[in-house]
Order: sequence, then structure tokens, then C-alpha cells
Amino acid sequence: MSDQKIELQVIAALKTVKDPDLHKDIVSLGFVKNMKIDNGHVKFDVELTTPACPVKEQLRQECEGKVKAIEGVSRVEVNMTAEVRAAHHNQPVLTGVKNIIAVASGKGGVGKSTVSTNLAVALSQTGARVGLMDADIYGPSIPQMLGIPITPPKGSGNNKFFPHEKSGLKVVSAAFLTKEGQPLMLRGPMLGGIIQQFLQNVEWGELDYLVIDLPPGTGDVQLTLTQRAPISGAVVVTTPQKVALIDAEKGVRMFQNVKVPLLGIVENMSYFHCPDNDKKYYLFKHGGGQRLADQFKVPFLGEIPIVPEICEGGDDGRPVTLDHPDSSSAQAYRALAGRVAAQLSIVQARENAEQPETTFELAWKE
Amino acid sequence: MTENQHNGANGPSLKKIYQVDSTTLGIIWTDGKESRFNVKTLREKCPCANCIDEWSGEKRIKPGQIKDTIRPVNIRSVGRYAIQISWNDGHDTGLYSHDYLQSLG
Repeated sequence: MSDQKIELQVIAALKTVKDPDLHKDIVSLGFVKNMKIDNGHVKFDVELTTPACPVKEQLRQECEGKVKAIEGVSRVEVNMTAEVRAAHHNQPVLTGVKNIIAVASGKGGVGKSTVSTNLAVALSQTGARVGLMDADIYGPSIPQMLGIPITPPKGSGNNKFFPHEKSGLKVVSAAFLTKEGQPLMLRGPMLGGIIQQFLQNVEWGELDYLVIDLPPGTGDVQLTLTQRAPISGAVVVTTPQKVALIDAEKGVRMFQNVKVPLLGIVENMSYFHCPDNDKKYYLFKHGGGQRLADQFKVPFLGEIPIVPEICEGGDDGRPVTLDHPDSSSAQAYRALAGRVAAQLSIVQARENAEQPETTFELAWKE
Repeated sequence: MTENQHNGANGPSLKKIYQVDSTTLGIIWTDGKESRFNVKTLREKCPCANCIDEWSGEKRIKPGQIKDTIRPVNIRSVGRYAIQISWNDGHDTGLYSHDYLQSLG
């Protein structure tokens, strides 16, 4: 069979390979690129929408298997690549940032900053360019968790400044704007000013993902951000207890009211994973996060276990995803990163179809 | 991910906004439906805390208070969920959420 005939059959075969999240075949989605066929030796790229794709290996095997089965094909080389697609927005802030993920909780103390930090690290470990904005103005803890000393940010002229960099992440935090140990005491308008600075004056450069660690609750900072930043989607963190779930529900409703897509709910401290006997102990009841997700018909993004390394890592500035990559908790964070990235692709595909007008200014004519 | 999940979307969003004539605002929603609003009615139904008492829900705009010459000067988007209208009477504090607009339409 000629190479041209083989190519037609290869494309037909790849049209039967579906992306399980986007519910379309990979040819129609434009994922198949750089196809080369030489004497039955077939070579092509599959360009996914995120390097954190949770089904990358499964897709590769399906492509390989289906193409190998074609008569006349002697060898198959599938190269999996990724190009993160930019969320649809034309607001004049954060223009180099492709996707903005807000991490929120209704209640304090559920481990939101730990989740934000490890989610950011897990995303960057897939090869994506990732920034982390600590928008928890009153209790900024990201620098501590990443082990970044409190030093003022480096200016770049024009009132702009560079983020700190650590472990491949670009980081801004209100902590860098204060003396160590001193509290920031601010009223509403000042808060808005700091958030505005974070949005307009940081030299982020090009980022695939910007993770924003919001303060707990549903107040000024959350509103300012949802009104002024083109947030691509939100992740709500809860713990399994009823008191936390009640507040998480408020967080979910807040994002619904301001029409920020919910990427899903993640349950932190779901169980204690005992290192001695490898058993799971559900300390705070089981299944609350999943039930909340079901109630609002949003994705459940997973359970993060408690392991001693999480606390040590946070206190010593070594996130568990970096320092104990084989622990059950680091594995849970990598799965979380994959699901968050997949949900962003799903939300984007829907918005490309609906094309809502998100940013406009209309001058009235007499 | 099952088919019935929808990332929390709570009703259609704004797809297109345009001026129909000097007193009518038109909006097409992402579900394909179209709404038309008389601008004077919109001004009278301003949802801001100056126009509707936050605690009692009582309307503070008196009948006849808004003149027939009321017009928007400028309309802009707020986040993904609302529009803000600056009026030629100087008022501009009302945020009209998509859901509120749909309840009026």
C-alpha cells in the first residue's frame, strides 16, 4: 500500500480516538500534527491542551494500537506534546497569563494555602509555566510554605515589580510588602489597592497557569478579583466535617453568582494515611466533599490525605510534592493537577462554542 | 466527569450587547434568546444600595422622579456576571447582573 493511502487510513483510525473530557475525536480537535509517513513508518505528534493531561498515556497507547493495526504500517512513533490554550478574555490585565485558577474556601483552616502551593508545584512538574499569587492579604503564608525569605520585590521601572522565584514557581505575596512578623492592618479600599497592584504591576511574563490563593470567606478580596481579573475557573477547598461543608457551599454559591466556572471541589484532610500499617483512617467522616459536588453538579476533584510530611513540608518551606513525591499525598496532588487542567480545557471548549462577550464598553449614541 | 455536570453555570451569560435605538438596549444571551430593555425602566429598576434600601428592600426612587430624557452614557462589563451603566443624571453605582436583567426581561 502507498504511503498516501496509509495516511488516509491513519487519519480515519485516529478519528476513532476520543478525548474523554472534551467528548470529541483528536483529529477534529486539531490535536494531530506533523504527520510523516515513510515506507510504512508512521510518525506524528498529538498536541494536548495541557501537559498535566491525566489520560496522556492512555491516549498514546490507543493511538499506537489503532495505527499499528493498519495494513502496511511497519512502525509507529507517537510524540505527545502540549500547548496550553489561552482562556477567552480581553481584559487589559494579566495578558501573558493563559489560565487563572482561583483557590477558595468558605472557612479558614481547611488547608487552602497548602493546597494552592502543592497544586501549583504539581502543575509546574508537568512542564507548565506556573505562577502563584498569595491574595490572602491578612494571613499570607505562601512564602513560608515555599521557604522564600521575606525580602521586598525587585522593581522593574514603571511602578512594576518582578515576582520572587522558587522551585520553578513565580510568586507574589502581601508578605513581601511588610516587615517580617508585622501584621497588615488594612481597610477595604487599601485591600482593593493591593489586589489591583498584583493584577496590574507584576511582571509575570508568559504563564500557562496562575494559581491565586484567596483569603477564606466571601468578602472584599474575592469580589474585587472576580470583578477585575479574568478568572478562568475556581477550585473550592473543604474538609469533610459538616461545619466546613456549610461554608464551602457559600463559596460555591459565590462563584455561581459571579459566573466564574467551578472547576470543582477538593476535599483536604480526607483521611490519615498511617505510615505504619498503610491503612486509611477517616478522621472527620467520609464523603462530604463528594456529596457537596454532587449537590451542585460540579466535578469532585479528589481527596487529599493527611500525612506527617505535609505539615513538616509546610513549616520547613518544602512542599510535599517536591520533597516526598512518592507519598500518597503528593500522588493525590498530581491527580488533582491533572483534573484541574482537564476541567479548564472543558470549560474553554464550552466557552469557545458559546462565545460569551466578557469584556466590553458600549458608548451610547443619541 | 459525567454528562450532567456543568461547572456550576447558573443560567445563560451575555453573548452580545447593542443599542437598538436611542431608548432601547438589546442583549442576546448565550442560550440564543434576546431581551430588549427600555432605558428609562432600567434606570428606575436600578438595583444599587442608593436606589433600593439594603435592609428593607424598599424602593427609594419615587414614581415620576426619573425623567424621560434619561439615557445611558456608557455601559461596561463587570467581571463575567454583570454590567455597569453610567447615566446622564450622574448615577453609576448600579451593577445589573445577568440574572437580574433576565428577571426583568
